[in-house]
Amino acid sequence: MPTYISWQRLGVLLAALAAVLAAGCGSAAEDGRTQVAAVVEKDFAISTPRQLPAGEVDLHVRNDGPDEHELIVARIGPRGLPMRTDGLTLDEEALERDEPGALEPGAPGGDRTLSVKLTPGRYVFFCNMAGHYMGGMHTEVVVQ
Amino acid sequence: MIGRGTGAFRPFASGGGRTIAAILGTFALIFGLSAALSVIAIDRSRGRAAVVQVADRQRTLAERYVESILLVQSDHQADPAGLAMTLRASASALLDGGTAPAVPGDDDETKLPRAHGAVLRGQLAQEKRLVEDLTRSGAAVLAHRPLSSIALSADERLHIADPIERVRVLAALTSNVSLNAARTIASDDDQNISDLITMQAALGAGGLLASLLLAWALVAATRRRTSHFRSLVNSSTDLVAVLGAGGCRYASRSFITLVGRPEADLLRDGFERLIHDDDRASVASAQSTGQPHELVFRMRDRHGAWRHLEAHITDLRSDRHVAGVVVNARDITERVRLEGEVSLQTERDKFGGQLIEALEMADEESAAYDVVQRAMSEISPATPMELLLSDSSRAHLKRVAISASAGAPQCPVESPFSCAAVRRGSAVVFESSEALNACPKLRGRESGPCSAACVPVGFMGRALGVLHVTAAEGAPPSALAVEQLTLLATQAGARIGTVRAFERSQLQAATDGLTGLPNRRTTQTHLRGLLKGGHDFALALADLDEFKKLNDKHGHEAGDRALRLFAQVCQSVLRDHDVVARWGGEEFVLVLPELERQGALLVLERIRERLAESHVGSHPRFTASFGLTDSTQAASIEQLLQIADTALYDAKAAGRDRIVVGVPPLSEPITLADGPGTDASPRDYATRARRRPAFHSAADEEEPGPNGIDVG
Repeated sequence: MPTYISWQRLGVLLAALAAVLAAGCGSAAEDGRTQVAAVVEKDFAISTPRQLPAGEVDLHVRNDGPDEHELIVARIGPRGLPMRTDGLTLDEEALERDEPGALEPGAPGGDRTLSVKLTPGRYVFFCNMAGHYMGGMHTEVVVQ
Repeated sequence: MIGRGTGAFRPFASGGGRTIAAILGTFALIFGLSAALSVIAIDRSRGRAAVVQVADRQRTLAERYVESILLVQSDHQADPAGLAMTLRASASALLDGGTAPAVPGDDDETKLPRAHGAVLRGQLAQEKRLVEDLTRSGAAVLAHRPLSSIALSADERLHIADPIERVRVLAALTSNVSLNAARTIASDDDQNISDLITMQAALGAGGLLASLLLAWALVAATRRRTSHFRSLVNSSTDLVAVLGAGGCRYASRSFITLVGRPEADLLRDGFERLIHDDDRASVASAQSTGQPHELVFRMRDRHGAWRHLEAHITDLRSDRHVAGVVVNARDITERVRLEGEVSLQTERDKFGGQLIEALEMADEESAAYDVVQRAMSEISPATPMELLLSDSSRAHLKRVAISASAGAPQCPVESPFSCAAVRRGSAVVFESSEALNACPKLRGRESGPCSAACVPVGFMGRALGVLHVTAAEGAPPSALAVEQLTLLATQAGARIGTVRAFERSQLQAATDGLTGLPNRRTTQTHLRGLLKGGHDFALALADLDEFKKLNDKHGHEAGDRALRLFAQVCQSVLRDHDVVARWGGEEFVLVLPELERQGALLVLERIRERLAESHVGSHPRFTASFGLTDSTQAASIEQLLQIADTALYDAKAAGRDRIVVGVPPLSEPITLADGPGTDASPRDYATRARRRPAFHSAADEEEPGPNGIDVG
């Protein structure tokens, strides 16, 4: 099979390049840098960088399917991650103060961007569709 | 565009049908495709409804399965194994097609097609794996086996110790994935319908475009044909018009060009107005009945002249597109003119032929004049004409022929060279006698102002006279008339010239050039005629005395004058039927019919006297000697001449200037005495004598000698 670059991937690359350039110019954010991080959702797993720098971060989220998935970024507070009473989903209302951003369910194969402002701390990136969190669809990211 | 001009030229192609068929075909194709798409879409949607139902059912079944495990564990009646089987079978059927089993009390068996689309198949495959994980976990729970031994196949990571919790999470995942799959199926359906609508719209648009293109092609083809046809009609020299009940309905460009008026002037009754009055009825008949099929009519052209048009009529009154007769006409004016010229030429040739024949039969000038008079009436009976010819001196013009029916125009011209036409040598036509350049001889005539034609008459380049014709002022004789007059002048001139030349040559052959008297040959013929006819006559030979001396002394001019004078004297004395002829040299012969010697003697004496009187001025005097005899003296001319010659000799010998009456060789010569007895009629000679009495014998003279008469 010949080398194949999908338009979507190319778009991601171009967006990343643009973001890098913008960061290089140092004109976009007040602290001078906007970070870019790739997030990939596949089956019931989320892969992210283990660590991210604090500040503005553009998360380029790709859903590799096959299901629809959300992406919720939540800071892990002192109370941990409270579950809803159904035992299947995290209690987003309780997390709200510590939730820098979220993406609604997106179709498989989609690429989206979520801009978040992160302060140093521990964060969980997860999908809160019924059973997905419990099925392993969450990951922890440390912001420094 | 190079290709443009190379297309076939088909003004009468019956095209269009194929294009229309293509338009209809396109519509049918589009309609068929559209209907087929709808049917397929509806069919697929119908299948989809069952798929969606089964896909959605999986959620319920997954939850019911957890419920049934819990019920069994709390010793209630339930059938988790049956539900597990239904879940697995349904998941399998959803993915790869097959039969989804019935759920008692809910559904019957449902046949499902194989799933299409990577997303849906991915989701259904994951669902199938989750169902597997769920049912195997459920079975382990019911069998009190540890769940950790069960490998998970759907990439889920369960860090849950409680078996029921574990099964519940798997059920939730299964339920969620089933919901997703059901949504995907439903949204695929939506996509299908949306695609169908798009496709239908595209088909409609495509069909419309194709139809428009075909319609455009049809219009273009029709326009091309119309243009071809128009170019045929317009570039054709044939004249085409359509005449209907309301008059002209169409006139081709050639017609418009012919009449030199705008098209509007030809339409309706305009066409009829341009037709010659005499031809209007036949055109009107063709217009209203289609008959006759062929006709010739005249139409006024742009210069106001009549054009002869030969037309073919096609009756298309029953054709509702035409509703009239089609006139296909050709301009035959030139042909008609040529035919007219040919017939005119024939007429002219006929006239010319007759004229030549008539003139050939005229053997005298007077007969030729008669022919000219009759030809004048033939050319134009009402036109005054005259033929003026010069006499032999060519100094005076005489009116020799006038139109018998219209009289003579009475031209006052007197000599040939005071006539303008004669001087010019060609026919002259004057429009008006009053015009500045008109011949002055036309002005002031009794009949008032006139026009005229004057045609010179000549022969062999010599002017003989003029043929003169007058007509009303401003309406001179036509070109044809002038042509015929010219022919008449030429032929008459030729004939009259020939007759004159012939007469002159005859005269020249019979006369002596110097004196104008008959010559010896003519006289001999004359004498033979008299002898043969038994007529009596006296014969004398005369000879000028001392002629040689005269010549030598005064020159040949004087000699010639003497000869001419003698001839004139003789002629002045002799009667009309007497003949004096030059016999040769200075010798003359005189033949006096009905006279005997005695009578002739008196005549000769008279000549002698007249000769003596006629010497006037510086002219040298001369005398003549005569030898006389008559037809009673001998039987042949030779003998008579011999007798006369001998007598002349005797006269010479006797001293000249005398008359000697000869005698036959055997008899005695006689000398006539005074008081002549004579047979001659005194009256004949008296008329010619002006100075002396008729008979004056030489014997009366007082002196003998030169005036004496000897008998020798």
